[in-house]
Amino acid sequence: MNGYLADQAFIPAHHQPAVLIDLIHDQGIDLNRLLRHTGLFQEQILSGEARLSPHGWLQLIHNARRLLPDPELSFRYGQRLFPGHYGAISALLGNAGNLHDALQVFTGFSKLVFPLLGARLTVTDRHLCLHWLDSCGNGSEHRFVVEAAMAGLASVTRWLSGERLPWAFQFRHARPSYPEQYQVHLGDTLYFDGQLDAMILPRHYLESPWPGASTIAWRAAKQQCQPQLDPLAGGDSFRLYLYRQLLQNVASPPSLQQLANPLQCSPATLKRRLRDQGCHYQQLLDQARLHQAIHWLQFHGYSTEQVARQLNFTDSTNFRRSFKRWSGLTPAACQRALAATMGSLYPA
Amino acid sequence: MGNMTALHRWSIAAIVAIGLCILILNLAVGALKPAADIAWLDIAGEGGAALLSLMWTVFIFNSRPAGWVTRLLSGGLAFIFFSYWQDVLDEFIQLPAHVHWDHWVESGSMPLGMILLTLGIYHWHREQQAINRQLLKRERIFREHRSFDALTPLSDARYLREQLALELQHTQQPVSLIMIDLHCFDHSRRLLGSADGDRLLRELSELLVLNLRQKDLLCRYAGDRFAVVLPATERLIAENLGRELKQAADHFAFKTRRGETHRVTVHTGLAVSHHDSADSLIERANRCLLQSRSGQPQVA
Repeated sequence: MNGYLADQAFIPAHHQPAVLIDLIHDQGIDLNRLLRHTGLFQEQILSGEARLSPHGWLQLIHNARRLLPDPELSFRYGQRLFPGHYGAISALLGNAGNLHDALQVFTGFSKLVFPLLGARLTVTDRHLCLHWLDSCGNGSEHRFVVEAAMAGLASVTRWLSGERLPWAFQFRHARPSYPEQYQVHLGDTLYFDGQLDAMILPRHYLESPWPGASTIAWRAAKQQCQPQLDPLAGGDSFRLYLYRQLLQNVASPPSLQQLANPLQCSPATLKRRLRDQGCHYQQLLDQARLHQAIHWLQFHGYSTEQVARQLNFTDSTNFRRSFKRWSGLTPAACQRALAATMGSLYPA
Repeated sequence: MGNMTALHRWSIAAIVAIGLCILILNLAVGALKPAADIAWLDIAGEGGAALLSLMWTVFIFNSRPAGWVTRLLSGGLAFIFFSYWQDVLDEFIQLPAHVHWDHWVESGSMPLGMILLTLGIYHWHREQQAINRQLLKRERIFREHRSFDALTPLSDARYLREQLALELQHTQQPVSLIMIDLHCFDHSRRLLGSADGDRLLRELSELLVLNLRQKDLLCRYAGDRFAVVLPATERLIAENLGRELKQAADHFAFKTRRGETHRVTVHTGLAVSHHDSADSLIERANRCLLQSRSGQPQVA
């Protein structure tokens, strides 16, 4: 199989999931109730043998939220997550020599560092944008997962760089009823109801060196992490691997048949496997095209017509209709919203 | 006896009076039995029952407010007492054969008392159900109003917004809001560990409460940010209070689990209401906090 699956038990329960278990345990909540329906037992976790699937981890998050309905939970979880004590991957993150090194851990090693989300880094002349992507069909826990990941990355980059990085945050979900948590834990530059779950920063932060990193330790850790990845999908999930295939050839995207060929399975099998990951071909394709269109509009300053041409649409009416279907907005309205966001982010 | 007994003075007086009447009537009509005819075992049994039923009546009076259920319960027990009382008197006093009312007192008041007691207990049960319902509602209202924060013994941002909105209704007096946060708490928490980090926030919240007036309200806004609502407080007084809170926090020598001292510094931001909503006041105080954090002069 290429890329990890939602129900594949490969996440050591004493790694990232245990951070949540500890957090809930600190509040004096019964662990048996927390572990319900996850297939985990306390003794098993302590022995270091237990492995959890992404779905099991999501179930754990679901239980935690039910037992401790505190909007701060995801943020506190995220702040405890990284660099963590997860073996080589924590060493890799902890020895990042600059922001670019640190972000590579999230874009290239998501299987080891945070399997629930993948990430895509876009760098332009002025900005860098880390776009978080759903790896395994996070469903109703997606918001929690995104909050935790963003709080975690903001916190660990602050810790490793020794300064508060002025991240801007963009969310697909609407402004929540607890904006204060976002404000205090993330920062004041927040945009809700957007098209991407993304974090944006001025480009010059990318290469500026961080104190306390060891190049040798970084390289050694990278050597140790590489063999744990998939030869074809790298650190991505199966779903994300296919998404990236579509994204790389977004102008003339491969068909379901063409995607199935290198995987040596039939299109019907691929269809079924995708369904198990909470998505289908058309949905992934639409997502890839929307995300690429947004990137071109937001960060490369393309016009709507240019984007339509790049995506191989024969006429712009057709493109506008499709874009409306993907995002709920017309390209022009979306472009206006993005321009307002970018303008207020870094006024010229 | 507590205050409850005072409520039932007249009922108690009535029971004692009826008991005495029965005694006087018995003495007036009948004649004392010779000592040889007295069955001491019967007296001990019947007298004990009379005494116990009288005690139950007293307990009921002592623990319950006046009312329908109390009257049924105490009335029932009182009739049971009268029945046993007549029984006891029978052992001492020989009544003439033509007198029948003693049988009525003895045998009539017992079933009457039992019926009254049964009715009383039934209504007592209904009353308890009503009280449970009432308590539940009050508890729910209570919980809805006071949303406690999971980490510190303070209320959360939602409660802050509610209370602020209430205070802002009194437009004739200004409301001040101070936001307080710790300098580089993210860093502190990583150095101290999560457990000590959480405890630092709890202990700081206690310290801040100690420096407030009775009418002020301290909430945890989120993370390491606290909010203080100062009702009916002018800017000058609020600035003073803010300074005092800052000084208190600056002198706080937090002790880690290993016993080491970890010092903290705080930033404060103040906003005083003029025709604000709760949200806009919070926003202004937050902006002021950010300005003080970036080292710029404070403007609210």
